Amino acid sequence: MSSDGTLRTIIETRKVDKRFGTFHALKDVSATFYEGQVTAIVGPSGSGKSTFLRTLNRLETHDSGEIVIDGIVLNDNLKNLDAIRREVGMVFQSFNLFSHLSILRNVALAPMRVRKMSREAAESKALNLLERVGLKNQAAKYPVQLSGGQQQRVAIARALAMDPKVLLFDEPTSALDPEMVNEVLAVMRELAYSGITMLVVTHEMGFAREVADRIIFFDEGVILEDTTPESFFSNPDHDRAKAFLSQVRHGF
Amino acid sequence: MNWTRQYPGWAMFAAMIGLLLFLWGMAVPLAAAPAPIGPAAEQFADGARITVGLTLIAGTAGVLIGVLAGLGKLSSFWPLRWLCDSYVWLIRGTPLLLQILFVWLAFPSIMPEGIELSDFACAAIALSLNIGAYNTECVRAGILAVPHGQVEAARALGLTPLQTFMDVVLPQSMRVALPALANNLASLVKDSSLAYAISVVELTMVGYRVQAESYQPIPVFITIAAIYLILTTAFTTLTAALEAQLDVGQKR
Repeated sequence: MSSDGTLRTIIETRKVDKRFGTFHALKDVSATFYEGQVTAIVGPSGSGKSTFLRTLNRLETHDSGEIVIDGIVLNDNLKNLDAIRREVGMVFQSFNLFSHLSILRNVALAPMRVRKMSREAAESKALNLLERVGLKNQAAKYPVQLSGGQQQRVAIARALAMDPKVLLFDEPTSALDPEMVNEVLAVMRELAYSGITMLVVTHEMGFAREVADRIIFFDEGVILEDTTPESFFSNPDHDRAKAFLSQVRHGF
Repeated sequence: MNWTRQYPGWAMFAAMIGLLLFLWGMAVPLAAAPAPIGPAAEQFADGARITVGLTLIAGTAGVLIGVLAGLGKLSSFWPLRWLCDSYVWLIRGTPLLLQILFVWLAFPSIMPEGIELSDFACAAIALSLNIGAYNTECVRAGILAVPHGQVEAARALGLTPLQTFMDVVLPQSMRVALPALANNLASLVKDSSLAYAISVVELTMVGYRVQAESYQPIPVFITIAAIYLILTTAFTTLTAALEAQLDVGQKR
């Protein structure tokens, strides 16, 4: 939120459509996201929520419609794509740390290659970020030596190293053992309060309720609900959302 | 070997120094041996140096060809794919001896006037093309073994396709491809003996000449075999150490 209280648009999607063969993954999805906002994207598996997130930095290409990120249109233009990918960080379900590089190099690689920082500057920045996620003492290790929760915190540090305007989280805790979920959520909570724009695809309803400013509920490729956490969790408009909530609550 | 795993740097260093000492020092002890070995000691050493020269040149060129053609086989541009497929098909489907003879006898008539290739160069070209084709398949398998998430993570961070390949895909694929590449290199040490057919005086040719003069094939061929064994041991120690070096961050 800017100082005068108005919201600045950072991501805008208009009628974004995507098919995988005969499967209609996204059906004319339009949504606007504002700077500093934390949005939780929830919904059943196969509802299109991850696909939607992945179209935002073109890990999936959309078939039709328009995506504008920080004023740049996302299309086949490689310059635009490079510019967008510099501003949009992503954290994956399976961490995807570079397995052949040390933790420090994992975080320092993109600033060195993309921002052309010197190795010393990139590594000192990486150390600061690792300290922020509580893993400075693991800098010399390799990803395989870390627990899942630690790897995901490194992945968050790696994304932050590019100073992104937006962070996309694609089910960041779904591949973790239950006892490691909280350490990752704690880092994400701290980030959310620091004012960075976040889009989080998640099944962690407790986290969504506590941290998100906004909940988007996907079902069968459309946004069925787009509302505040309070109204979504206490009184969803659609039966599909009610059914979904009663299903996920079963797990608690 | 265990110590190559524990001290890969030292093992590589030792293998290289050992190889150099052997190539330039072996004439001294061999000269002390009784006839027919002793008088021909310098010939043995010369032959071994030619064999190692062919192996190093064709081995290096073969890796470069393997990486380029391996990438070409995975290209989305079909003429390039077709070209690389045909290359591998042609080389793997014909005898190495024929390829060596072809380069030696056919190239001079194709080459522009004024360019003359030595016998050694002809052998090096044919061996490079031959091992390159086998390496192509190893490199391709290695590239395919890199999880797609690694590429997605690199692209999402803003690395260009070339940076993604050089910094992430190539090092990781080499970890997978190296044992197979090392296998090809060990074959190459011995396959280089076929260069005798175009009158390159490499190790096997030396042996053939010495036994023809002395009528004592048994000691001569045992000496040649021992020299080959020492050479292949040096090369496999080198590649095993390189493998250990690249193996960092890997699950055991």
